Parts: sequence; C-alpha cells; structure tokens
Amino acid sequence: MKRNAMIALAIACMLVLAACGGNNGASSGDGGGNAEGAEEPELRMLMQYSLFDPNEDYMAKAITEKTGFPVKYEMLPAENADEKLNLMVANKEDFDLMKLSAPQFFKLATAGALEPLDELIDSYGANVKAAIKEPSWQSSTIDGQIYAVPETGSGISIGEELIVRQDWMDELGLEAPTTPDELYTVLKTIKDEKGVIPLTGSKDAIFGDISAAFGIHNAWNETDGTLAHKAELPQMKDFLTYMNKLYSEGLLDSEMPINTTPKAIEKFSSGQAAMFRMAWWNAPGLVKALEQSAPESEIAVIPYLQSAEGAAEVGISTAITWYIAIPKASENKEAAMRFLDAKLADDVFKSLAIGEEGVHHEVKDGKYFPILPKFNDDLNNGSAYMTGTNEHTYPDYWQARVRKDPVLQHYYETFQANAEAAEIIIDPMSTAPPIDAVSRNTQKLNKLLTDAVIMFISGSRDIAEYDQFLEQWHAEGGAEMVASANEWYQSAGAGE
Amino acid sequence: MSIRTSLSERLFNGCNIAFFIFFGLVTLLPFVNLTAKSLSSEAAVVSGSVNLWPVGFQLGTYQYVLEDAMFLTSLGNSVLLAVVGTALGLFVTTITAYPLSRLRLRGRKWLLLMFVFTMLFSGGLIPMYLLMQALGLVNTMPALFLPAAINVFNLLIIKNYFEALPDSLEESAKIDGASNVRTLFRIMLPLSLPVMATIALFFAVYFWNDYFTAMIYITNQDLKPLQLFLKELLVSSSSEFLKDNVDAALNTTPQSIQAASILLATLPILLVYPFLQKYFVKGVLVGSVKG
Amino acid sequence: MKHNDAPAALRRGTLAMRPARSRAGQRLGADMRRDWDLYLLLVPGILFLLVFKYAPMYGISIAFKDFNIFEGYAGSPWVGGKHFANLFQSPDFARVFCNTVIISVLKIAILFPLPILVALLLNELRHMLFKRTVQTVIYVPHFLSWVIVGGLFIDLLSTNGGLFNKALGLLGIEPIAFFLDSSVFRGVLIASAGWKETGWSTIVYLAAFATIDPGLYEASKIDGASRLRQLWHITLPGIAPIILLMFILRLGNILEAGTEQILVMYNPTVYNVSDVIGSYVYRMGLGNQDYSFTTAVGVFESLISLTLVIGGNALSRKYLQRGIW
Repeated sequence: MKRNAMIALAIACMLVLAACGGNNGASSGDGGGNAEGAEEPELRMLMQYSLFDPNEDYMAKAITEKTGFPVKYEMLPAENADEKLNLMVANKEDFDLMKLSAPQFFKLATAGALEPLDELIDSYGANVKAAIKEPSWQSSTIDGQIYAVPETGSGISIGEELIVRQDWMDELGLEAPTTPDELYTVLKTIKDEKGVIPLTGSKDAIFGDISAAFGIHNAWNETDGTLAHKAELPQMKDFLTYMNKLYSEGLLDSEMPINTTPKAIEKFSSGQAAMFRMAWWNAPGLVKALEQSAPESEIAVIPYLQSAEGAAEVGISTAITWYIAIPKASENKEAAMRFLDAKLADDVFKSLAIGEEGVHHEVKDGKYFPILPKFNDDLNNGSAYMTGTNEHTYPDYWQARVRKDPVLQHYYETFQANAEAAEIIIDPMSTAPPIDAVSRNTQKLNKLLTDAVIMFISGSRDIAEYDQFLEQWHAEGGAEMVASANEWYQSAGAGE
Repeated sequence: MSIRTSLSERLFNGCNIAFFIFFGLVTLLPFVNLTAKSLSSEAAVVSGSVNLWPVGFQLGTYQYVLEDAMFLTSLGNSVLLAVVGTALGLFVTTITAYPLSRLRLRGRKWLLLMFVFTMLFSGGLIPMYLLMQALGLVNTMPALFLPAAINVFNLLIIKNYFEALPDSLEESAKIDGASNVRTLFRIMLPLSLPVMATIALFFAVYFWNDYFTAMIYITNQDLKPLQLFLKELLVSSSSEFLKDNVDAALNTTPQSIQAASILLATLPILLVYPFLQKYFVKGVLVGSVKG
Repeated sequence: MKHNDAPAALRRGTLAMRPARSRAGQRLGADMRRDWDLYLLLVPGILFLLVFKYAPMYGISIAFKDFNIFEGYAGSPWVGGKHFANLFQSPDFARVFCNTVIISVLKIAILFPLPILVALLLNELRHMLFKRTVQTVIYVPHFLSWVIVGGLFIDLLSTNGGLFNKALGLLGIEPIAFFLDSSVFRGVLIASAGWKETGWSTIVYLAAFATIDPGLYEASKIDGASRLRQLWHITLPGIAPIILLMFILRLGNILEAGTEQILVMYNPTVYNVSDVIGSYVYRMGLGNQDYSFTTAVGVFESLISLTLVIGGNALSRKYLQRGIW
C-alpha cells in the first residue's frame, strides 16, 4: 500500500512538471513563421472575440505577407471582455495595437492609457489620413487630440424590418399595412381567422418599425436644436399604450418578454407566428427552415409604416463600431502606425478586404461578387482583422460578403431600398466624441429602459407610472447624461 | 435471515424502482433532445421541429466538430488539466485534511477557521491577477490548477471522513511504531477509497467545468480548455453578442453544430463516474473495526 | 450490541481528552517530537492557502475606496463606508435583499433534504446494475450550463406548445405562463435547480454510506428490524456528520440564491419576485465595472455568511456535540 501511495505521489509530481514544461514549450513555439518580415518588429495586437484561431487564419498570413510585419494576435474573451481588457491594460501588458469597442475606447482614452496619434499620423499615416473621412475622426478626438483610428463598418445599412407570411395575407385578402392602425387591423384579422400568434418578437428588439411610426427613431433624437433621449420623448407613452394594447389583446406574442431571437425565428419559421421583425443576416436560415416546414409559404417585407403625420421614417446610427488604438505601454508605437498605414494602401486594403480578383472575387456590372468557396475559406474572418477601412471604397467591397447567398442579398437589398424610399433619420449622437457621462451610463440606462418598456408593454406595470419611471431613469444618471450630450451638441452646432 | 421478503417490502421496492425510472427519464430527456438536434438538419432545428428524434438525419455536425482544430486542442488541454489538477488537488487536500482531522493537533480550531474563512472572503479578481502575473503564470496551464489545488470544501469532506474512521486504527498503528505519515498512507488511505473517489470526481469535474479561470488568465488559443471553447462558441452565437456586429452575425455557428459540441464536450467527463462507482462500495471497514 | 457504534462517530468530537500537563513548553516539545510529521503534512496546504488565498486579501480594501483600476490600489482614495451606504440606501435594496433570502431559504428547505432522500432511496436499490445506471444518469444534468437548462425549461413550460402545459391541458387545467407569472416563477427557479443539482448532490452522501459498518445491519436484521427502522437508526445516523457539514456550509451561502441561474431565467415581468442581490448588482454595474461597489456588496455578503457559519457551528457543537471545528 505504501508503495502505491508513493507511486501515486511520484506520478502526481511528474504530471505537474509535465504540464508546466509542456506549456512553456507551446508558448515559445508560437512566434515562428516570420522569416519574411525579419526587418520589421513583431507586433502584438489585441482583437475582439471571434470564433477562430487568429494566428492560424489565412488572413493573418496574408497581412504579414502584404505588409512585411509579423503580428501576434490575441483575442479578448467572448464574455467579460471589458473586465479582461481593464486587467491587461492596468497591468501594462505590452500590446502594440488594440481593436476596441466604443465604450472600451472611451474608457481607456479617458484613463490616459492610449497614445495620442496626431504626430504619428502626420509622420507615417498618409494612407490612414486619406482613407478616413472627417466626421469619423471627430468621434475619436478628445480635447483636440486623436486617440484612435476609427473603423466604420459597412457604411449606412438598415438591419431589421418587419416580414409577414404573404400567403396568409393573400388568403385573408389583406393588404400590407401602412400605419400602426392598419397594422392593428391586420394583426387582429390574422388572430381571428388563423389562430396563430399574429406578431412575435424577441425581448431585445422592441424598438424599430413600429416605434419609428410613433416618432421614436433613435436612441437620441433632436427637436429644435435640443437632444432628448428616447426615454424622454412624449411619444413614448403613445407607443407603449399601442404595444400594450397589442399585447393584452393577444396580437403580440405573450412570450415576447422571454423570447430570444432564435426563439422568435423558430416561431415564425414553424408557422406559429405570422409576422416578425427580422434582421437580414438571419434571412438564409429562416427562409430555409420555413421552406421545409411550410413549402407553400411566401414571405413579404412590410415597408416602413407611416406616422400619424403620414411620414415613413427610419432611424439609424452611423456611430463608429471599432476604434484601433495604440496603448501607451507599447514599445513599437511608430511601427504600429506604419503597419496601420501599410494595411490601408489602396491595393493592400483591397486584397485584404476581398482577396484577389479571379481567385476570391469577380466583378460583374461594377459590383464585386465572391467566388465560392474560396472567398469563404480564406476571407471569412477578414473583418475581424480590419484596422480601419477605406471609407470611400469599403462599403462597395463589403457588399461582396452579402452576395455570398442570393437570399441574404435579396433581403439586404430590399431592406436598404425600403429605407431609401422612406426618410432616413441619423442619430445625432453618431459622430459625438467620447463623453464621460454618456459612456459611463449608456449601458446601464438602456437596460433600465428596455426592462421598463417590457413591463409597460406586458402590463406588469401601468403606463400611468411612466413619469415615475422617467424620474428614476433621470436620477440613476439619465439627467447627467442628457445634459452632457446637449452640452456637446450645442458646442458642435456653434462650430458648424 | 429470510430470503422471502414481506409484501410491504416488495411494494416499497417496486415504488422505489418506478421512482428512479421516472427520475432517470426526466434527467435524460434533455440529452436525447440535444442528441436529436445534433443529428438533424439545421433547417429542422431552426424551425423547432426536432424533439426526441432527428429530423433530416445527418452526421456532418460531428464531422465538423471533430475536425475542428480548436475543439481538439482544447479537448487535449482539458484532459491534461483534469488529470494533473485532480492529482495535485487530491494529494495536497488529503495531506492537509489528515492532520486537521486529528483532535490532538495544536491550534486545530484556528487552522480550520483560517481555511473556512477563505471560503467566505476573497480578495477579488484584480489582486489575484496581479499575483498570477507576478508569479509568471498568466497564459500558462498551471494558472488553471495551482490556485485550486487546495479546496476547502473538499478538505472538509475528507477531514469529516477521516474523523469517522475508528480511533482504534491509529492506535494500533502507533503500537506498531508507525509514523503519522505511514499511518495516513498505509492505514487510512486504503480505507478511504470511497471518499477519495468522491473528491477525485469533484476535482475532475471542477477542472473540467471551470471556464472562468481560463477566461481571465488565458488568451493563448493553444492553451484554452474545452469549456472555455464551448462557452465562447455559445456566447458568440447569442443575440447579445451579435448585436451591432453584423460581421459576426454573418458567421454564426449553426444550432445543430452547437448541440453536437455540447454533447462532445460533456461526454468525456460523464464517463469518469461509472469508473469511480466501484469504490462506492459499502463495508470498506469490514475487518478493520475491532469492536 | 453494535447499535451504539454509529453514534460513537458523533460523540467522538469533543469527548477525547488531551493529557493535561503542567508546562506548555514541555507539552509542545513532546507533541513536536511525536507529531512533527503531522505538522509537516500541513505545510504545503497552508502554503497554498497563504499564497493564493490570503496574499490577495488586500483586495478587500477597495470596498472602502473609490477604486480606479488604472490608478491602482495606492492611487485610489479612501472613502470610508460610502459604498455600503449606497447599497443600503438604494431604493431597491430591501426588495432585492428579501428576494434573496426568500429564494435561498426556499431552496434550502426544499432542495437540501432532497439529495439525502434520493441517496437513501438509492441505497435501498438491490439490483446493482440498475443502481449504477440510475446513479450515472441522474447526475448528468449537473454538466449542462444554466444557459442550456434555462432554454430547456422555457421550452418545456411554454404556453405555446410546451410539454408541461400540454399535460396540464389533458387534465383540464388552463395553460400557465410559468416564466411570466410572479406567483409561480419562484417555483420554476426551485424546480429547475432541483432538477439540475439533486442527482449530483447525492454523491457526497453515497460516499458516506461506505463508512457505516455492515455489521450493524446484520445485527439489526437478526433483531428483526424492518428496513425503515434500519434506515432510521443506522443509515441516517451514519451519514449525520456529513449532513451537518453540508448544512452548515449551505447556510454560509444563504445570500447566493443562484445568481447565474436567475440571470438566465428571469425577465422584467418577474423582477418583483426574482431580482436578487447578484442580479441587481449585475444590472447596475453594466458598462461600469464599479469594482468598489461590487466588492462592498461582496464584503456584506461574506460577513453575513461568516456569522451564519460560525453561529451554525457553535449551535451544532452545543446541541449535537460536533461541528466543522
């Protein structure tokens, strides 16, 4: 018995040593494959989470090949990303580049963890300067200094719109609704005649088509030169009263407060629900599923509803999605900027965005189309590696991603065409620079608002209490946030 | 002793068996559902038409997961972590529990309080991260098992078990001139297989399921354990994550592949228990108890 | 004659007397000579404890500071009890605290005895293969994360074709919106937690059965005791120490009502009955990383836990002559 115990102990010790040793081997083996860019220093870049191995991807190799910079990539975790980022930055981890979300950028910039980039851009960033338009720079400028390269995504695009089972509409002799009142009648008829859920939706997608018809377009809305958050709009009560009516009469899915997006898609695509606000990127899966469960079905997109004044409007935010920053702790600041600049040279940028012509993409009628499967195999994760885009060309390049699938393309294009037919209202805060009170409170207050909205719609709270809620919203930081936003808006307006 | 059992006893047995059949089915159903989803076509899963039987049968999901280099690497990491972590944890926790189970140990009460205190109070994430960085453990495998090597909950269970062993065992060992260490390894441990099996299971399951530690200390893809991979797979497909990120939304993982990944990530640890069960036998103390 | 042996394990706690010696130093010396290796065994464990648990304890200080992670510990100013005041003065604190305690107490009252009962019943199964299969099967849900379990229960209890409501329909009962109805939602929380963890929690008791001397059962059989009597007089007392240990530790967790579970399963329509300290702090901290406030909440919870564990242990020593220490 003693021998057994000793053997067990010995094995345990060996395993511990093996684990430590094995790991050291693994981490030192990672820096390989930089023979080409031997002259340039190895850069360390922090990315947002995506589900792939960033050092093994085609894109990583292509970038090093085109720019001559060897780069070691690391990702933030999918969950608790902000926490991890804080820990790493506070501990002076020596990243050379970081791709940050807007709140992350605001926080690190105000904490003084990021390097001001003006001089670096002037010295090494000719391509960067040319690629990015003036309004975008504003959003990364604090007290007159630029702290990041702003990365816009695909340009202005509308994500979601109401879709309906057209076969049922035809069967019931219904026309596409154009106002909230008509929508109500359509839903009521569907409920009475078909016995399905007339309108389903997910708990985190309440605002959109219907709220826009009530004059609630964006998170921030401007009236007479003053900004108001949507929580403060007097129209909010009308919108909630309308939605509550739908809910209490069974026209809105009673499980909306617990529906996730996949659940809402499930209900629509299994024929349990007649109407749903779909994001175009979910179209391929949804359409396929519906075709299988109801082969004779037909889907139609409902154009944007008109408000009482007869205007169809759609809100959109053009805010920057990602910020590429160089942390103060970096030891290769100049190289990092040269790297960013090299990636934005026109030909390099094009090949990183859509690959090589004839291999990854082809041009038809002046539009870019992907060549499958090569495009997907190599460039699927391309967007994750982006560090600033050429704002003049990227929206065109990017659409190749949508043309991967005819269904995807159809819904994307229909949604954009419908939005253009209506009036697009841009969130006035889209180009705002980092404002402390705004970035500090936005997430918390948005949650507070969505939670309350769900309570008001589902009737677990009486709409008469809305003012009481608004008071709480203001007290929890809303008042401070709105004041700061207006302060910026007034000063920016004076400058123009 | 009579072979024939009474009516009430048979009735009890019948009800008991029926209860466990029901209980077993209720716990198993979700796995049947997950299995069915993993074997169904994505369209069928999206429309929610898969219950307990696959619709549009396919095996491509399993092929996809099993060919995924990230899955396989992280599976290897998790197995290594579970084996090393369990071996170290079991060893350290056991040798600590034994002295604490001896009533003659000086300051025993205070030592125990000192251990229990750490179950209730912790310094939090930031000092822990600083410590790990100072020790050079960030982005290394030992970061995942060293801090967990002493587990107070497990320690108390082992200590409790040692206390339940008859005093006569130690006394007779003493008479034979055995040292405390010898007594522990030669006399106590062989009689403690059930609790050792239990704690080994607890450690193994802890290390297998723990994604949080890795999420904080590991950014190197090659060192991520399986549950972190699984967590990231699920989170990166959730609507919260995809909100405002069109490019990620275009690349979501199909639900059927998610189901296959969940099953494949759970299966290895599920297989551990049946092997440990043989140690849960009654009467390990037979013959060692001297009246 | 053997009937008294199992309780002997219970009594052993305090009755063993240490030999009384006159001088402390001499006693210590003698102990060290005899038991030096016993103390040596403690070294690695205490080392791990000091390095990985006690060394980072200074982090608790940020509960009394306005901590800014970029300024570090030294650079952040002291603010005294500000964060505690914020917590207690928050208009939602009373509601959230009550919810926490209610859900937790319900969970303890209903879910603590369940695994013991199941373990006892498992122990009565005579067919070994069946027994082992059942054991393996019922512990399986433990391995599913709450996100998955939450989704399963939402499906199961849906008013829109959920299996459970279909079954109720067969009995002529109107569908119940389990997830949206404040009067039943706590029941959902408890039932799903029971489903997930009961099987797993039996394991610790199953191991404890092994410490019971089979001779006791033989003897009582000869005495003609029924199985129920055996269960009551031999099995249950045999695992009493571990039950006690588990109970005291569970008490220490009273303010952890299952935050992870609740965050996955609750929704605004049932906040009034299910918003607990953990979920509240999570929502209020969104986008903020208010480390100081979070730590203050943690300290508050830990203090209550510590009181309960020490109190529970003292009571247990007084009335049951046995405790953790």
